[in-house]
Amino acid sequence: MSNPVALTPEASPHAAFAVTARPSVVRFLLREPASAVALVVVVLLVLAALFAPWLAPTDPYAGDLANTLKAPGDGFLLGTDGQGRDMVTRLLFGLRMTLMMSLVAVVIGCGLGGLVGFAAAYYPRLSGLLMRLMDVLLSFPAILFGLALTAIVGPGLTAVLVALSIATIPLMARVVRGAAIVVLQQDYIEAARALGMGDARILTKYVLLNCLSPIFVFVTLRFGQVILLGSLLSFIGLGAQPPTAELGAMASDGRNFLFFAPHVSVLPSLLIFVVVLAFNVLGDGLRDALDPRMRR
Amino acid sequence: MTMLARTALAAGLSLLGLVPALAQTKAPLTILRVIDADRYDPVRSTATSASEVLFMLADTLVSLDFDMKTVKPLLAKSWTASADGRTYTFDLRQDVKFCDGRPMTAEDVVYSLKRWIDPATRSPVASRAGKVKDIRATDDHTVVYELQEPFSDLLYQLTQSFGSVVDKNTVEKLGQNFGVQGFNATGPYCWVSWTPRQDLVLKKNPHYNWGPPIYKNPKPEIDQIIWKVVPEANTLMAAMQARQADITYYPPLFSIDTMQRVPGLKVQQQKDYIYDVFFAFRVNKPVSSDPAIRRAANMAVNKDAIVKAIYFGRGTPLHSLLSPTVLDYDAKAAAMMPAFDPAGAAKVLDEAGWTPGPDGIRVKDGQKATFVVYGIRDDQNPRISEAMQADLRKVGIDMRIQLWDATVAWGKLATQEFDAFMLSYPYGTATEALNLYFKSTQAPTPNRMNWKDEKTDQLIDAAATATDPAKRKEANAETQRLLTAANVWIPLVTRQMWVVSGDRVEGVRPHGLYGAGLYKGLDLSLKR
Repeated sequence: MSNPVALTPEASPHAAFAVTARPSVVRFLLREPASAVALVVVVLLVLAALFAPWLAPTDPYAGDLANTLKAPGDGFLLGTDGQGRDMVTRLLFGLRMTLMMSLVAVVIGCGLGGLVGFAAAYYPRLSGLLMRLMDVLLSFPAILFGLALTAIVGPGLTAVLVALSIATIPLMARVVRGAAIVVLQQDYIEAARALGMGDARILTKYVLLNCLSPIFVFVTLRFGQVILLGSLLSFIGLGAQPPTAELGAMASDGRNFLFFAPHVSVLPSLLIFVVVLAFNVLGDGLRDALDPRMRR
Repeated sequence: MTMLARTALAAGLSLLGLVPALAQTKAPLTILRVIDADRYDPVRSTATSASEVLFMLADTLVSLDFDMKTVKPLLAKSWTASADGRTYTFDLRQDVKFCDGRPMTAEDVVYSLKRWIDPATRSPVASRAGKVKDIRATDDHTVVYELQEPFSDLLYQLTQSFGSVVDKNTVEKLGQNFGVQGFNATGPYCWVSWTPRQDLVLKKNPHYNWGPPIYKNPKPEIDQIIWKVVPEANTLMAAMQARQADITYYPPLFSIDTMQRVPGLKVQQQKDYIYDVFFAFRVNKPVSSDPAIRRAANMAVNKDAIVKAIYFGRGTPLHSLLSPTVLDYDAKAAAMMPAFDPAGAAKVLDEAGWTPGPDGIRVKDGQKATFVVYGIRDDQNPRISEAMQADLRKVGIDMRIQLWDATVAWGKLATQEFDAFMLSYPYGTATEALNLYFKSTQAPTPNRMNWKDEKTDQLIDAAATATDPAKRKEANAETQRLLTAANVWIPLVTRQMWVVSGDRVEGVRPHGLYGAGLYKGLDLSLKR
């Protein structure tokens, strides 16, 4: 019997990098000022979203029509919205909802897209069919998916989640297939096959681990895009329904007051901008950090 | 003649002032609105956005004065009603012509009115014509309108755009595309083109001189009118301030004060305007069928606060089923309407067995006090519904909001999916409002509440067929009391009509029939 130790992930340079290099990735990110700021901002935003119920000064749904459209500082730190609700509270809960919505859509979309990508790479006979299917999905913009789903199931987070997930699947499938094909051509994969390893084991133990770098980068960048798309769908009324706080919906609600209470629309829009920028910069940083050539 | 010589001659003539007509061409009158109609066929569209244009494109037998009450002549010079109130005879003008120049006869009127009530047309507003026995022309300028039973609202209904006289030839030529690809009628303006959700262009009807006597000038003075759709409130306001348009009666409410201060802009209000916003329960659904839930909800909603915060004070809180200014309004029914009292609402729910659950939402026999409301996503509805949602939550009722874009909303409101809905509607008489929404024969639309009550039907019929105004008033009063006690609706706000016009246009006077701020568009002229 052969020695399985010789074929552990550490046996290949890519796998070794994927498993052992994480602390150095963080160090690399922190060395780059833009990436460091983005990382800190993302961590702070995620913490704010996680602890929103404890950080928020008021109930996010308790309106007070006697105190509508108060300017920032006029008894409320960031003012109030058209229902007299505290903007700090609404922004915290809006951020929480936006991040949660994007996370679920990215997890579902990337999960399914990853499976399709690995299957297409590993089983060449399936590749044609699966990737043409992905091409069909790619031909529909996410907004169109959102509109079509809304017409069927009605506006709401479900429609947005499904639309964003479906829009993510083909993109992820392409990234994963490309990365997996490169890995599958390596000698250690051939060796694993020669040793009689099963498909599942080869895929999880070698292919997946060696594709983690592009996957991480894609997921981080896609997260920012999904936030923007989700906010856009909510902005046009297809996403979160009242009274749910969601950044896109909040920006949309404030449109009518732009001339005399701009904070109602500007603050959530600004927050979307910061979140998306932070995730994009972090994604770029990760790409550099995970690229051995850049690390040298 | 060479091109150069022609150009030189044209330039010379211009300089000599020999072609002044070219220089004096005025830009078209531009009217801004926020929404387009699905079509412009008088009997097939119930939208205000259709009627406001149809009043300019076509004429009705009779017209309505600016007081929203007095019926005046239009295509009919005069009319008589039989003593039993079943037969109306209209004497028509003999100088009326369609846009294509063909003279209008009594047969055209009969054709148009019969098309309105023909079951094959499937008009959603056919019931507004009353129970017709026959409509016939006795000669070229006399139309007899015979009813199976008296209909006290007939003349008022004949002022609406649904009774517009249209050209049979064009209707038959265009079929389902009448009012989509073209139009021909006897209005002061003629159809030029329509780009859906963008603009609709009209031009002056050169033959027109039979405008209703409510106007000073029976002829149109404007050569071309463009109805432009600008859905976004801030853009609409900016366009008015920048003089990119001449008139709008859809100004965002927060902008009224600002518009009043802008030099050159004129802001006028139609005081006799009735266009109510209401919230209605579907009475055959699990939670909304409970009278205690409906009463408590009515008591929990702060209408005054809604008007102040959401309408910026540019509306009137509605504390009665119908507007206090409408014909046959009943003050006793209004006194029965529950006042804003959240503590009282909670007590009503307690007494009915609705007890607060762990999340604050009340429960009775395992059923949560939760219901879904449908509505149109416009400027106000999202904010009104959210304010109501917050008010209802305070007394333990969970209202879920589902607002739809105007293009799909009417389809959604025709389903049985929702428990309550929010709408707004224009009306001129109590008979019209009650007949439209509360008769069992009007279910499932527009009686989306599914309110089917024999007593209500009898009272509405009694009012509609009354020839004695006192009897009609009493029947309408009793219906208002019955419906108020049942809390089928939460009346919310009476909207106000504000017409903003620029300094290029003169003669603007707000009307408001069926929400149409400019009605026939007569008396309007352009300074430059």
